[in-house]
Amino acid sequence: MKPYIPKLIAKVMLALAVVSANAAETVKVGVLHSLSGTMAISETSLKDVLLFTFDEINKSGGIKAGGKNYMIEPVIVDPASNWPLFAEKAKQLLEVDNVSVVFGCWTSVSRKSVLPVFEKDNGLLFYPVQYEGEELSKNIFYTAEALNQQAIPAVDYMLAEGKKKFYLLGSDYVYPRTTNKVLKKYLKSKGIPDSDVVEIYTPFGHTDYQTIVAEIKKFAAAGKATVISTLNGDTNVPFFKEFANAGLTSENCPVVSFSISEDEFRGLPAKALVGHLGCWTYFMSIKSPENTKFVKDFQTWLKAPTVTGADYKISGIDGKGRVTCSPMNLSRMGVYLWKQAVEKADSFEVDKVRDALIGQKFKGPAGEVTMQENHHLVNNVFIGETLATGQFKIIKTFKDVAGEPFSEKFLPKQTAAN
Amino acid sequence: MGESCRLEIRNPCSFLFIHAFLVLLHLAAFASFAASPHRTNLVEAVLSEDLARQTDIIKSLVEANDPLIEQALTAWRGGSLYVLETNDTKTPILLDPVTDAEGSAKAIRLIDGEFVKGADGKPLVFAVADLTAADATSKLRKVIKATLDLFALGNPNPAMRRDAVIKLGQEQNPDYLPFFETRQKTEQNLEVVKALSEAVATTQLLSEDESVRLAAIGRLGTMRSINGLNFLQRLETEAKAAPAKYGEKTADALHKSIRDIQDYIQWGNFFGTAFRGLSLAAILLVAALGLAITFGLMGVINMAHGEVIMIGAYSAYVTQNVFAKWFGASGRGFDCYFIAALVVSFVVAGLVGLILERGVIRFLYKRPLESLLATWGVSLVLQQIIRHIFGAANVQVNSPSWLSGSFNVSDVLLGYNRLFVIGFAVFVVLLTYLLLTRTSLGLQIRAVMQNRHMASALGVRTDRVNMMTFAFGSGLAGMAGACLSQIGNVGPALGQYHIVDCFMIVVLGGVGSIVGTVSASLGVGVTNQILEPWLGSVLGKITVLAAIILFLQWRPAGLFVTRSRSLEG
Amino acid sequence: MLSNKSISKRELLLLVIAALIGIVVLPCLNAFVPPASFFHVSNFSINIYGKYLCYAVLAIGVNLLWGYTGLLSLGQALFFSLGGYALGMHLMLMIGKLGQYKSDLPDFMVFLEFIKRFPETGGLPPHWIPFRSFWFAAAMVVVVPAVVSFVFGWLAFRSRIKGVYFSILSQALTYAATLMFFRNDFTFGGNNGLTDFKFILGHEINSAATKRGLFIASAVLLLAVYVVCRWLTSTKFGLIQRAIRDSENRVLFSGYATANFKLFVFVLSGIICGLGGALFVPQVGIINPSEMAPDKSLEAVVWCAVGGRGNLLGPILGAVGCNALKSYATHSFAEQWPYILGGLFIFATLFMPKGLIGLPAQLMEIKRKFTRKNGDAAPQTAPADVAFESATKE
Repeated sequence: MKPYIPKLIAKVMLALAVVSANAAETVKVGVLHSLSGTMAISETSLKDVLLFTFDEINKSGGIKAGGKNYMIEPVIVDPASNWPLFAEKAKQLLEVDNVSVVFGCWTSVSRKSVLPVFEKDNGLLFYPVQYEGEELSKNIFYTAEALNQQAIPAVDYMLAEGKKKFYLLGSDYVYPRTTNKVLKKYLKSKGIPDSDVVEIYTPFGHTDYQTIVAEIKKFAAAGKATVISTLNGDTNVPFFKEFANAGLTSENCPVVSFSISEDEFRGLPAKALVGHLGCWTYFMSIKSPENTKFVKDFQTWLKAPTVTGADYKISGIDGKGRVTCSPMNLSRMGVYLWKQAVEKADSFEVDKVRDALIGQKFKGPAGEVTMQENHHLVNNVFIGETLATGQFKIIKTFKDVAGEPFSEKFLPKQTAAN
Repeated sequence: MGESCRLEIRNPCSFLFIHAFLVLLHLAAFASFAASPHRTNLVEAVLSEDLARQTDIIKSLVEANDPLIEQALTAWRGGSLYVLETNDTKTPILLDPVTDAEGSAKAIRLIDGEFVKGADGKPLVFAVADLTAADATSKLRKVIKATLDLFALGNPNPAMRRDAVIKLGQEQNPDYLPFFETRQKTEQNLEVVKALSEAVATTQLLSEDESVRLAAIGRLGTMRSINGLNFLQRLETEAKAAPAKYGEKTADALHKSIRDIQDYIQWGNFFGTAFRGLSLAAILLVAALGLAITFGLMGVINMAHGEVIMIGAYSAYVTQNVFAKWFGASGRGFDCYFIAALVVSFVVAGLVGLILERGVIRFLYKRPLESLLATWGVSLVLQQIIRHIFGAANVQVNSPSWLSGSFNVSDVLLGYNRLFVIGFAVFVVLLTYLLLTRTSLGLQIRAVMQNRHMASALGVRTDRVNMMTFAFGSGLAGMAGACLSQIGNVGPALGQYHIVDCFMIVVLGGVGSIVGTVSASLGVGVTNQILEPWLGSVLGKITVLAAIILFLQWRPAGLFVTRSRSLEG
Repeated sequence: MLSNKSISKRELLLLVIAALIGIVVLPCLNAFVPPASFFHVSNFSINIYGKYLCYAVLAIGVNLLWGYTGLLSLGQALFFSLGGYALGMHLMLMIGKLGQYKSDLPDFMVFLEFIKRFPETGGLPPHWIPFRSFWFAAAMVVVVPAVVSFVFGWLAFRSRIKGVYFSILSQALTYAATLMFFRNDFTFGGNNGLTDFKFILGHEINSAATKRGLFIASAVLLLAVYVVCRWLTSTKFGLIQRAIRDSENRVLFSGYATANFKLFVFVLSGIICGLGGALFVPQVGIINPSEMAPDKSLEAVVWCAVGGRGNLLGPILGAVGCNALKSYATHSFAEQWPYILGGLFIFATLFMPKGLIGLPAQLMEIKRKFTRKNGDAAPQTAPADVAFESATKE
C-alpha cells in the first residue's frame, strides 16, 4: 500500500514533464528559490528577476550552441524554506527534470544542503547572495559578494571616516558569526584594540532591542562609534525603531547593514533609517546605460510577465512598487555569464561550460565583472547612504575588488601570530 | 526671480502655492546676502585644486551667517553640488529641491542665489545625470563637516544644536572653545546649556593649566557626565603613565570624578533595567491577554492566536494608509491614525475571532487538544491569505510623531512607544477585569467557564457566551497587534514570533487566572532584562525557558491555581 | 477490540506483502529494471520514499504517545533530530580530508578555530571523539533521545503535569533546544548544522546502491517498529496505556503507578523517533536546528491526525500521504499549497475524528444512519463521545 501514492504522483510529474518538453530546441534551466515559508520574503524577487532574464535572452534569440538556437525553459520548484526539501528539489531538478543549470538558494544552510547533490550529479549552481565564504565547490559559481567584497570595504570606509569603536551586532547564525570573526581580526590588524570592539548576537525573530540599544547608547557616548549590523531581515525593524527612539542617528552613530538592500527596504520604517549605510556590489541608483535599461525593462516586464518562447505560465507576481537590488542583479548576471560560457563551449555539458566560465567577462549594470578561477567574481563595490525614498546614494566606490572566499587569504598575515 | 515666482503662483493647486511661497522666502533670504564676500570665497574654493587653500577658505566660512552657504556645503559634502561648464566659465550651482516630472530641476547659482536662466530669460532646468559634481575628497569632507557642525551651533532646532555641541566637544579641539563660550552666553535651552558646559569641560581636560584642568575634571564629575567618562578614563591612563607631568591632584580628582560617574551609571543601569523589564512585561502581557481569555478561560488551544495578532497589526497598517490618503503622510491628522487603528484592529480581529469560533472552534469544545490541530491549520491559511493580499514582504508602519522619540530621565531613556504600551497594558487589564467582575456578561462568562452544564441549566445561553468571549479575546489580540506594529515589524510571520511566548505566559501564570497572567509577564519580562546583559539575548532566552519548565515542576498548575472540586479539572 | 487480539492470519498476510514490497520489490525495480521501462523506480524516487518512511517512523512515535496514551507531545521532532545529530556526528568525522580544508576536523571546526578551544584534542571537542566509532554513534542514536526524554518525562510526570500543560512544556523544551543548537558555541555546527557527508560504513553515501541500502534499512526499521508497537499494544501493558488515555485517575486509583507507565512510553517513543531521525539524516544529507523547531513536531502530530490515531496504520498512511502531497504540491502548486495543507488539517480534525483509516467505517456509519432512519439508531451523543465509545467498543 505504501508506495502507491508517491508512485502515482511520480507518474503525474512525468506526464507534466513530457507535456512541457515538446517545444523544439529548448534548454531546461532550474530555479530553486523558496516561494513559501520564512524565506519567501526575500527569494520571491529572485525568482521574478530570473524569469525576466530568461525572457530577455529568449527575446534576443536564445542561446546559440551546436549551430542551433535554444530557448530557455524554466523549471520552477518551491523548496518552501525547508532545508532537507532543498536537497530533494535539487535532486529532482537534476535527475528527473535533467536541467542544464540551476539558479537558486538564498541562505547558506540551503546551499550547504544542496551542495552534495550538485557534486554527486555533477550539476551547476549559481548562487547570488552575499555569504560568509569558507567554501569552494567545483559545481557552484558564487556571483555573490564574498566577505572581502562587502564587510571589509565597509569597515575600511568607516576607518577612513575616523571611526574608532565598532559594535558588531548580528543574528545568531553562521553568516554573522563568521563575518564578525573575520572583522575582529581585521580590525585588530588595523590597530583597533579588542576593548573597542563589541560582538553581540540576538536570536532569529528577536523583537526586544531595548537592552542592546541602551548598551549602544553608552558605547557611542564618547563618539567615533559605529554599528556593523548583520541582523537578518525581520529583526531590523524593531532594532531601528528602538535605535531611532533612543535618539541615536546616523550622525552620532551610523549603522552599516549588510542585509538591507532596496528590496528589504520595502518593509522597513523609512524615517528611522535615513543616513545609515549599506554596502553592495550594485545599487538601483547606479547611473549607467546598462542599469537604466535593466531597471526600466524589468519594471515594464512586471506589468505583463511572460517568458517568450517557453511553455511556461507565470502566476502570482506582484508588480507594485518593485525595485532592483544586488542579489537580483547578481542573479541576472549569473544567467548571462552562463549563456556566454555555453556559447563559448558550444555545448551545455557541465564540464565544458565550467571550463568556459573561467575568465568570462560581462558588462553589467554596475560595471564589468570577471569570473575568476576561484568561482567568484571581480566586481565593483559601492557604499551607499540610505535615503527616505528607499534608495541608496552612492558615496564611495571601490573598483574591481576580486572576490576571495577564504579569509586567511585576504586578512593581513601578522594576525596569525596570536 | 520675480518671473519664476509668478509662474509658480499661477498654478491653481494650493500645495504648489504654498511651496512657491516658501521658494519666494528662500530666494529673498539668499538674495539679501548677495554681496557677501563669503560666497565669492566659496566659489573660489569649489573651483580650486589646492587642498590647503580650500581648507583655509572653508574654515573661514564659519563666520558667514548665510543659509545658502550652509546648504552649499552640505551639498558639496554629499556630492550634490555641481559645476556648470559653459564656454570656459565654470559656475558652481545647486539644484532646486522642486523637480519636474522627468526629475529635472532649476539650478541655483552659488554666487547670488539666482536661478540660471536661458537666453529667453526663463530658468533652465537640468537633469542630475548631465551634471558633473564638484570633487570632495574624504579629507575635504571632514573639514566641511567641522564647519557645518559649527554652523549647527546656531541651528534653530535645539536637538540639532545639542548633537552638534556634543560632537564638537568630543573633538577636544581648543580652537572651538571661543565658539562654545559665545554660544553659552545666549543659549536658553537647558539641554544645550548642559551639553555646552560638558563640551567645554571635555575640551579643557587637555589644558596645560592645572587649575583649569582640575576644574574641568571636577565639573564633569559633578555633572555625572556619561559622555565625559571615556575621556576621563583616557586621561587617567595617561596620568598613570606620566605622574610627573600631571601631578597628584589631577590623579585624585580623576579618581573621584570617575567613581562618581560610575556609581551614577550603576543606578542608571538599575532603573534602566527596571523600566525595560516593565516595558517587555507590558508587551508580553498585551500579547498574551487575549490568549489568557480564549485559552485560559475557555480552554481552547488557539494556535492561530499569533495570526489574530498579525491581523490586528495589518489592520493598523491599512488604517495608516487610509489616514495617509486623507491627511497626507504626516501632521496632526495623520498622527491620530493610531487611535483609530486600535479600534479598527479590535473590531477586525474580533470579527475574525467570531468567524473562527462559529466555523471551527465550537465543534471542538469537548476535544481541546484537537482544537490545537484545527487552529494550526487555520494559522497556515491565514498567513497565506495575508501573503496573497499584502505580498510576502513586510509592510511599513510608521509611528505617529507622539510615539517616536523618548524622555530622558537622568540618562535613562523612556521611549514614548514603550510608555504608551505600559499604559495601554494597565488600561486593558483594568478593562478586562471590570468586564469580568462588574458586568452581567462577565458573570455569565465566569459561570459558563466554571460549569458549562450547570450554567446552561440555569438559563445562560452558553453558545452565545462562548461566541462573545472568544470574539472579545480575539479583539484584545488584535489590539496587541496594533501595539506591536509600533515596536516591531509587520509581516505574515509576525504571529509566529509571539505564539510560544504567549502560551508560556498563560501556562506559567496559571490557566484561567488574569492575575496570574499579569504576574507571569512581569516575572518573565524583568528576569529576561536582568539576564540579557549578562548572558546575551540568546542564552538569556534559553535560561528563561528552562526556568519556566523547572518552575512548573514545583507548581504544576502555574502561579495562581484556580481551585476546583473537579478531579479532572 | 482490533489491536487487542494477537495477530490474525489476514493481518499477517498483509504485513508480509507490505514488507516484501518495501524491502524486496521496490529496491529490485530500482536496481534491475532498465530506466526506460514503465516499472523502473528511479534513484530519486527511492530516495524520497526512504524519507517518507523515516517520517512514518516519527509518526508512529507520536501516535504511541498521543493515540495510545493520550499524551500530546509537541516535542517529538527534538528526539528525531537528536537521533539524526548522533549519526550525523559520526558521518561528519567520516568525511576525512575530503572537506574544504583538507583537514581531519569537520570544516566548521577548522574555521571556528576549535583548535584554540580544545588544544589538547587537536581541535575536536572531547564529546565528539567517541563518535569516530559507528557503533558508538549507533548506540547514541538510542541513548541520547532516551536520556533526554527520561529526564524531561521524569520531571513532568512526577509532578503530574498533563494535558495541555504537557503539550506546551514539550513545545518549550524543543524551542529552547532549537535556540541552543543555533549557537555556534554549542559545537554542533550552528544554524548550518551537519552536512556534506561522504561515507557511511565505508560506502559512498550518495551512490545509488547506498541510497537503496538506506531505503531498505528504513523499510526494515519501519517494519520492526510496527511489529514491536503491535505487540506492545496487544499486551496487558497496552491495555493499561489506553486506560490511562481514557481515564488516568481511575487507573491510578486501581493501584497502578501511572507516572511510570507514561515515562516508559515517553522514553520508548523518544527512542523510536531517534531511530527514524538517524536513518533520515544520511538520506537527505543534512541535519540542522530547524528540524527540531516546534513547527516540525506539530506537523508530525498532524500526520497522525490526518492518517488516524489510536491504531498503527493510520500514522504511516498520514505521514506518507501528507509528505507525498507536499512533494507534489510544492512542485505543481507552489503558491497554493499552504491552503491545501491547512484546509486538510481543519477538515480532518472537524470531520474525520478517526482520520483516513477510520474513513470507511465513518462512511458506513453515515450510510447506516441514512438507511435506518426510524429511531433505532444509537442515542444522540456529542461527536467526541461517539468517537470515544466506538474506540472502546471495537
